[in-house]
Amino acid sequence: MVTKTVDLRSDTVTKPTEAMRTAMATAEVDDDVLDFDPTAVRLEAEMAKITGKEAGLFVPSGTMGNLISVLTHCDVRGSEVILGDNCHIFIYENGGISTIGGVHPRTVKNNSDGTMDLDLIEAAIRDPRGEIVYPTTRLICLENTHANSGGKCLSAEYTDQVGELAKKHGLQLHIDGARIFNASVALGVPVDRLVQAADSVSVCLSKGIGAPIGSVIVGSKSFIAKARRLRKTLGGGMRQVGVITAAALVALQENVGKLESDHKKARLLADGLNQMKGLRVDPVETNIVYIEIEEGLHMSAAKIVKNLEERGILVMEISSSRIRVVLHHQISASDVQYALSCFQHAVKGGQIENGN
Amino acid sequence: MVKRIVDLRSDTVTKPTETMRAAIADAEVGDDVLEHDPTAFQLESEMAKIMGKEAGLFVPSGTMANLISVLVHCECRGSEVILGHNSHIHIYENGGISTIGGVHPRTVHNNDDGTMDIDLIEAAIRDSKEEITFPITRLICLENTHCNHGGRCLSVEYTDRVGEVAKKHGLKLHIDGARIFNASVALGVPVDRLVQAADSVSVCLSKGLGAPVGSVIVGSNSFITKARRLRKTLGGGMRQVGILCAAALVALHENLPKLESDHKKARLLADGLDKIKGLRVDTSSVETNIIYIEIEEFSGTTAAKLCKNLEEYGILLMQTALSRLRVVLHHQISESDVQYALSCFQKAVNGVQNENGN
Repeated sequence: MVTKTVDLRSDTVTKPTEAMRTAMATAEVDDDVLDFDPTAVRLEAEMAKITGKEAGLFVPSGTMGNLISVLTHCDVRGSEVILGDNCHIFIYENGGISTIGGVHPRTVKNNSDGTMDLDLIEAAIRDPRGEIVYPTTRLICLENTHANSGGKCLSAEYTDQVGELAKKHGLQLHIDGARIFNASVALGVPVDRLVQAADSVSVCLSKGIGAPIGSVIVGSKSFIAKARRLRKTLGGGMRQVGVITAAALVALQENVGKLESDHKKARLLADGLNQMKGLRVDPVETNIVYIEIEEGLHMSAAKIVKNLEERGILVMEISSSRIRVVLHHQISASDVQYALSCFQHAVKGGQIENGN
Repeated sequence: MVKRIVDLRSDTVTKPTETMRAAIADAEVGDDVLEHDPTAFQLESEMAKIMGKEAGLFVPSGTMANLISVLVHCECRGSEVILGHNSHIHIYENGGISTIGGVHPRTVHNNDDGTMDIDLIEAAIRDSKEEITFPITRLICLENTHCNHGGRCLSVEYTDRVGEVAKKHGLKLHIDGARIFNASVALGVPVDRLVQAADSVSVCLSKGLGAPVGSVIVGSNSFITKARRLRKTLGGGMRQVGILCAAALVALHENLPKLESDHKKARLLADGLDKIKGLRVDTSSVETNIIYIEIEEFSGTTAAKLCKNLEEYGILLMQTALSRLRVVLHHQISESDVQYALSCFQKAVNGVQNENGN
């Protein structure tokens, strides 16, 4: 039986729209390594403008965006970077900053709202007087929205405070802004204001913004010049890359305006799930929903995920009792209702089995 | 005045054709990180089949393809790789295998034909008995066609012999096959036979084959599995990448048959240039689509000056040394472009000679 598929695994699954496909097919291109691809230049300039930075650089992925940023800020051997113990760079980027970049990570506990306590960050900064045995702290990384904490937003005030701390100690500040637009929309703060304190930001276009591929790093002109060289070294120097950046430009124009609606759908889904006996949903700020399966339900996440899959609902199993759902513009309000009914069905199964 | 532009700087300048653009627009896509983009899968499978290897992996560039290949073969700290002193990996890839990958390079002299002497390769292999002071040799890299040596081809016999040396010493063999199809066409040897001895090959789709972006690495299933993970680590894991792979599939089907014609155009241009007083081309060494032009001393001009003069005519090429230029042919250069380029070269050189009272 053909079931409708509602893919809630991630906002990376978004497929290119008709407008994007047309843009890709008609894109003006050139060799972005020998010279500059004109469409790439347009995207990079636009992203720099939106974020209030001097220049931008298109890269194939958020992972490369962060890797390049950390390695460029920490280009001297013996560097250390302070970052959250539950942040994407530390958990989901294959440890590349170390295995590839030789940079030492110093983690600080992420609170459930995605922040790190300022005094803990400060305590983690290496005292230069100990330099015979210490690596040199050069960089602090924040993540906004914070994925593992459930798409939580870091406020402009908090970001500014971390920026001041960085400045006080002569450090740089990088923001993993994969979902920075979600934060901006949820907080009602313009993106450039939100990242003002940062020396660099990496912004994903392939997540909620819906482009097929890529991220953009933004920062100062000199930072981006170094980043461009490192991008080539890592193998991210693509030739007629305008075919992809054309889609990203469309994504920026079409889909930033839809993020608020993704957040509404997430809240709708979260409210509905919270009403189901046996499920508990963490507070939702943007487009990510984490679902705890309460012990009393006696059902594993794996079982629920499988059950949902049979009905065409795709979600991500995070642990034996935790499921993640991510909303995006290609999920409709009726998809959300359908998903809710499927969750209800899956959970009822558990309730019936346990004689509830 | 709108100038006619004949871009001979590289075969990377090729722009996507109408069929490629249509394929990009219609491509079936999926999230290539969460699972497998179907069009990427199609391209990777097809390339693996053509090259006679088990599996393939699409990457954004030839640089990443070589970087991944070297790092996967040399995944243990303390590794060394043997490669040509004038190879692309050693000269034009930012030293990434070392600065990024921690692998030590041991260069062996490249001959004019792109080969390295077999006995010199063998002499460069570290004796493991001395391992307290030596890194461990794990890999030999060849380059076919050899870019810095005029796009010359390594024969299948030579490649096989290097493969035997590698096997004898327990080493792997990687071929930087950015232009391997040019070699295959020029030698009249099927590409899978040409790379049979290699454990891995990196093949560019964005050069003579004309795709907008990308390369494919081919090798064993286990090698490609490791390569996929390293690709993610380096940041080359792209999502709906089928849009690029669709163009690459078109490039493979449409432009492979045009390489022979690129070689013909190169020979035509080389012969014509060699006849111009003041320029010298070793026409016997023009085997594929790359031409190196020496500027004779008596001509009274330099590569830089000549380059600039030609640019004014709309002819774009690359200066590679004080008295050396490089020209690369591709399918978007027509025969009439070649004739036009020749006449511009003649004018530019004559112009200088007139200035100098020749």
